[in-house]
Amino acid sequence: MKNEFINQINSYLPNVDYCSFRFVSKYTNVLSVTRNVLEPIEIIEDEGLMVTVIHNGGYGYSATSDLTREGILKATEEAKKWSAFTKGNLIHQPTPPADIIDNGKYFTHEQDTWAKESNKDKVDYLYEINKALKSKPTISNWGASFRYNKIETLFTDTNGSKFRQNISYILPQLIACAEYKKEIQTRTYGGHAHARQIGYNFIKDSNLIDTATSIANDAIELSMAPNCPSKKCDALIAPDQMILQIHESIGHPLELDRILGDERNYAGSSFVNLDMFGKYKYGSEKLNISFNPEQESELASYNFDDDGTPAQKKYLIQNGLLKKPIGSFYSAQRAEQDYVACSRATSWNRPPIDRMGNINMEPGDTPLSEMIAAIEDGIFLETNNSWSIDDYRNKFQFGCEKGTIIKDGEMKGVVKNPNYRGITKDFWHNLAMVGDESSYSILGTANCGKGEPNQTIFVGHATPSCLFKDIDVFGGE
Amino acid sequence: MREYFENITRELFKNIKSNELLIINFDAEESKFVRLNKGKIRQAGSVKQISMTLSLSTKDKRNLKSYVRLNGSFERDISTLIKTLNYLRRELPDLPKDPYMMFSTSVHSTEISSEKQSTSDEVILEHILNSATKLDLVGIFSSGSIYTGLANSLGQKNWHEDYSFSFDYSIYNKNNNAIKLNYSSKKWNKDDYDFILNKGIEKLAILSNTEKKITTGEYRVYLEPSALNEIIDMMAWGGFSYKSNKIGTSPLHLLNKKERKLNELISIDENIKEGLSANFNSDGFIKPEEISMIKKGEFIESLTSPRSSLEYSVVHNAASPSEYPCSIDMKAGSISDDKILETIDNGIYISNLWYLNFSDRNNGRMTGLTRFGCFLVENGKLTAPINTMRFDDSVYSMLGDNLIGLTSSRELLIDSGTYEERSTSSARLPGAIVNNFKMTL
Repeated sequence: MKNEFINQINSYLPNVDYCSFRFVSKYTNVLSVTRNVLEPIEIIEDEGLMVTVIHNGGYGYSATSDLTREGILKATEEAKKWSAFTKGNLIHQPTPPADIIDNGKYFTHEQDTWAKESNKDKVDYLYEINKALKSKPTISNWGASFRYNKIETLFTDTNGSKFRQNISYILPQLIACAEYKKEIQTRTYGGHAHARQIGYNFIKDSNLIDTATSIANDAIELSMAPNCPSKKCDALIAPDQMILQIHESIGHPLELDRILGDERNYAGSSFVNLDMFGKYKYGSEKLNISFNPEQESELASYNFDDDGTPAQKKYLIQNGLLKKPIGSFYSAQRAEQDYVACSRATSWNRPPIDRMGNINMEPGDTPLSEMIAAIEDGIFLETNNSWSIDDYRNKFQFGCEKGTIIKDGEMKGVVKNPNYRGITKDFWHNLAMVGDESSYSILGTANCGKGEPNQTIFVGHATPSCLFKDIDVFGGE
Repeated sequence: MREYFENITRELFKNIKSNELLIINFDAEESKFVRLNKGKIRQAGSVKQISMTLSLSTKDKRNLKSYVRLNGSFERDISTLIKTLNYLRRELPDLPKDPYMMFSTSVHSTEISSEKQSTSDEVILEHILNSATKLDLVGIFSSGSIYTGLANSLGQKNWHEDYSFSFDYSIYNKNNNAIKLNYSSKKWNKDDYDFILNKGIEKLAILSNTEKKITTGEYRVYLEPSALNEIIDMMAWGGFSYKSNKIGTSPLHLLNKKERKLNELISIDENIKEGLSANFNSDGFIKPEEISMIKKGEFIESLTSPRSSLEYSVVHNAASPSEYPCSIDMKAGSISDDKILETIDNGIYISNLWYLNFSDRNNGRMTGLTRFGCFLVENGKLTAPINTMRFDDSVYSMLGDNLIGLTSSRELLIDSGTYEERSTSSARLPGAIVNNFKMTL
């Protein structure tokens, strides 16, 4: 059917300098049990087509959920009208790619498919997890859910390129809140970090019953714990907080469309400018960051971006030196920079923009135990729960669910409301140790917001635990 | 669009069995988006999208729903929807009963429609582009009709159709300082647009003065309505939700439990009557015209969804499942606009705050940053732009003991958000003068 559809719509391509059709079909299924009750199940089936026209010095798009011949032709005419309207008024006149993709393909490898397990069995598992979460009377709120997303993209253009990609991902989410003397503390698993392109076997292999018991115990312990002290000390940051640190203070500032000013009215700009690539020391020698769409099972792995640019791994920062922006084929034309395959749209109804794909911290050579042993006065920070950074991506403040004091190389007790703040330009120079493969975790977040019109998209981050020196930490009221 | 909705729903209800209830939620938009950077077009295009959510329930309290994207053609879509209906019907018997399922059973049909304006998008865009030729202007123009409908097999029909446009933008100077502006309305008036732009250009001139670096510490500040809206928006992140207050994840749970109080000047309503959102929820309940959520600094009423009402045995007020407000209406104070700078005397004028999040949710403490058009005020005068600063403060401090006053004039801020679809949320609120506002980085 898919081949028939792509061949059929191919015949509607207009006679213009360049036109592409990007068909997207999205299926979402969310099963959620909260406080032992099954919530209304979410089933979403969404499909539509984006027509992009570059013609005679103009550019325009039109997106429609009307996939009849008439609907597609009408959308094509609308995109042509925008192209005519924008001629002479564009900030950059895009030059379309000359390369041809011949029947390109990408499919997520699912060992067990989502559909293999019945809804009833999945819901029964969620009930079991709920039981483990509500292990003690002081647990005031609890819940668990599984989200499954499948996104199929079919692309064809007037160059003769064609490709098909099927990306599916799974996100388990667990929450436990505990109350003690009107102090409520929350522990979660999954929410901000554990989305993967993987089969349902990931859910089964994750041992979520043990995880549920563990986070419930954590929440209870945190509700009775002292506040995080205010001081400057070492911070050992776990992968489920590192991904936020990488995302906000490396990923976003390196997006080329921000550097070019497109996002100044909404998501913000960047302290990075075009002159800094190839010259600027972003962090210590231990800092190695890659754009890596080739990482197996990571959330934003793919073979082509939404403009049809072939995807491959490239270093953005190597040994602390800033090398490349996260800039797409078209943004790179504007900035005269090298590009990565990062032109991505949330769906058929939004145009592609520069986006993180998989932005990864390459592993180092220090086991976690050695990093802990090296700390005289510090804190271990786990699981992001608060994120805030300025519009130039410099002054940040992040909060975590759990902090553990480290004294003279030993873990010494839990503290609640651990927050830390700093300035990006300084922070990465304080990177002292990078964890080895044993703490390297493949993680991903499903909701990164950006763009006008607004778009959320899934991005991957793989990272080990890392040790930073002289970090300003503090607690709550 | 209305006729299509009527035809489709009529046909679907013919397929409903006697023990079933079907609720159909309809959403559609025909939008145009033009994105600008440096006064030129970055991306321009149109989006047409139609969707329905079919929610099928049986008398024994089983329910399943499915969201389906549609073409807009009756023949093609009815076949898709009947297939979906049959799928729901097949799956329902395997699902457990939903103890919190509740739908409106009293038939209450409503209809609100507004006419599309006569000025074309092309005329508006030509004017905007001409006005921006000498400006570093960046932002987005969005326009078009938004349609929301509900029909159930008991005979209820609700329809909300609205045309609006929004031009949300910023103008920058050479030092990368900017003023944020917005012109949103249902009817284009070029004089109104020019007035807002020219006021912004005047303000931008002050930003050209040499920036003064301020340091961490406590300051007397004026929060423009758009800055105050960011703080209220954070409070609304579970703060007004019955369920969040019950389970303790609300940042206002101590206010809700009467453990803490805000300043007596703070009164906040959910005002559906004067907002832009539809007056019915997805279960078919009609929302009250006004709900007093906070009055004179005390928590009065939560937003309670039908599900929460069954879970906690309380009366609901037709809130959405998220129990999030969509038409915030905050009472004005007594400080006239011409007294704002005099009242600050020495401090900071904050036009916008950005990227707020909690530093201690339990205690209503939040952090965020200054952004766009923030000035030092010296001896009652705007003197210079300031560097970007981070604040970290509690709502019980900012809108409690340290609140000096609210302005007598208010602004209607229409949400320019376009995640998935164009937002219909709005907020009307005054500006606020706050003492000892904590700047931490």
